Amino acid sequence: MTAPAPSPGATSAAAVAAMQAALAAEQAASYGYGVLGAHLSGASQQAASTDWVAHEVAADQLETLLRAAGAQPHPAAVGYQLPFAVQSAAQATALAVLLEDRVAQAYLAMVALSDTTLREFGGRQVRAAALRAAAWRGTTVAFPGLSAGDLRSR
Amino acid sequence: MQRAMPSRRAVLAASAVALPLLVTGCKGVQVLGTPPPPPVDVTVLRAAIRAEEVMVASYTAALTAGSGSPTVQAALADVLAQHRQHLSQLKARLVEPGADAAVRQPPVRALVLPASLAGTLHVLESAELSASDRLVADLPALPPALAQLFASIAASEATHAPFLTASFARAGRVAR
Repeated sequence: MTAPAPSPGATSAAAVAAMQAALAAEQAASYGYGVLGAHLSGASQQAASTDWVAHEVAADQLETLLRAAGAQPHPAAVGYQLPFAVQSAAQATALAVLLEDRVAQAYLAMVALSDTTLREFGGRQVRAAALRAAAWRGTTVAFPGLSAGDLRSR
Repeated sequence: MQRAMPSRRAVLAASAVALPLLVTGCKGVQVLGTPPPPPVDVTVLRAAIRAEEVMVASYTAALTAGSGSPTVQAALADVLAQHRQHLSQLKARLVEPGADAAVRQPPVRALVLPASLAGTLHVLESAELSASDRLVADLPALPPALAQLFASIAASEATHAPFLTASFARAGRVAR
């Protein structure tokens, strides 16, 4: 899927910041899947590989969007501090869930932008992340990307 | 000379034409005019609430039918609980003046669920995916915070379809 074109000249600083944050979440997810995939096997490892590709593709799309908006995409870090050590398949699965939740949260910031093209792109990516998270979690959640505090303050 | 009397139809038509003049000519009459249509976001929010009510009614009906294994029943109950949460959050964002709007609404009807478990699964999955697509399509019309809620609910509803498929498959009752 190709990235949608943002409205020419209408990309605000807030939009660039939201896209950079989403890109950072995608880059962290790509790194994380590289780590967690090594602790999986069979169908789970294949799923991790598929999801890693999805994050790479999404990162490419965000870079395209940022360049179209006249911004320079921030490069990925060389390494990332994992939130917990991953030494088992269960920990690998838990990390995948966490990464997808963070990606969904980052894309929700794009949903709040005034540019409708970016907003819809963000909405589709929240859904994609939620689908991957649900597959790893084995169940669903009512409000992907939103915390209980987010809901109370809305 | 006797003047021809206007027909009743003509009087009604003339009244309808004359009303805007009255409305513009006298501010006191404005309250009698047709209320303006609600803003787009209100219309979209009402539609989303209505759609959630249909989903709640449909999952309630599926559970009441009592078909399927405990695994299937548990999955249906989980999804129903999430639809109730969606409905609660959406309703909290709409303030209706008085009870008029509720009175005008036709009763909520559950989706027609086939007798077979496979058929029920198909109907519910299709409804979830359609609802998710509709919510994403609504995003441009909404203020930011409401758009985020819609996006999150759209994502949740999209996940219900594969979750139901997996649960029904685990129950071993549905050949797909």
